[in-house]
Amino acid sequence: MSQFSTCTQPSGVVVVKPTGRLNMVAAPALRKELHTIVEGGQTRVAVDLSAVDFIDSSGLGALISGLKVARQAGGDLRIAAPTRQVIAVLELTNLNRVLRAHPDAGTAFDE
Amino acid sequence: MSDPQPLVLDTITGPDTLADIQQTLDRAWACHEVPEIVRLHMDLAAGEIGANIIEHSGDGQPVHMRMSIELTADTVRAVFTDDGHPAPMDLSRVQMPDEMSEYGRGLAIAFRVLDELSYRRDTEGNHWILVHSRT
Repeated sequence: MSQFSTCTQPSGVVVVKPTGRLNMVAAPALRKELHTIVEGGQTRVAVDLSAVDFIDSSGLGALISGLKVARQAGGDLRIAAPTRQVIAVLELTNLNRVLRAHPDAGTAFDE
Repeated sequence: MSDPQPLVLDTITGPDTLADIQQTLDRAWACHEVPEIVRLHMDLAAGEIGANIIEHSGDGQPVHMRMSIELTADTVRAVFTDDGHPAPMDLSRVQMPDEMSEYGRGLAIAFRVLDELSYRRDTEGNHWILVHSRT
């Protein structure tokens, strides 16, 4: 089961931090949370993946869904600090091209 | 050499099934020396096939699912059997979807990380065989 915390930085960037396994069980809640944030007017979202030890196609789908809704609203979704398993899955699905990993969620929108 | 516990999960699918699949794999990894990348690939592929069964075999309803893990000197095999509907797909046509697609990566991921992925249907139900080399 994955859970996540959310905090808004002074810059307006919202940092979402899921933990545990981002799979079919947990992904729907993350997808819903990302949509809720963007629909609430906060369109720059950083997802801190440092505490996610497993991601599968459902978790990737939730991130892509968040990316699409954020961009459609004029913002962006960026990921930060992925663990080794997450990096491997991003690479083998070629999603590292659209979800480029940043070292830290707090600075993901600085560049 | 026999395992202290049989590496078999026999269950009715539900909210805990993916965690149960991982626990069964973790038991295998605890008993056998398997490289990290092989464990990562099998954890991922077995999770994807398990999720596919949970989601599609019973149209959202529980099905009887059995997973066994078999290790030989050269390979790790996971065999899934379920009594749900036939899986309406052609493995030879599985491919990674567009980058911005939100769905449809599960089987493509399993296909990509495994050395062999096969599916057949008989009177007992659906059979998936996942094979990865141990190196």
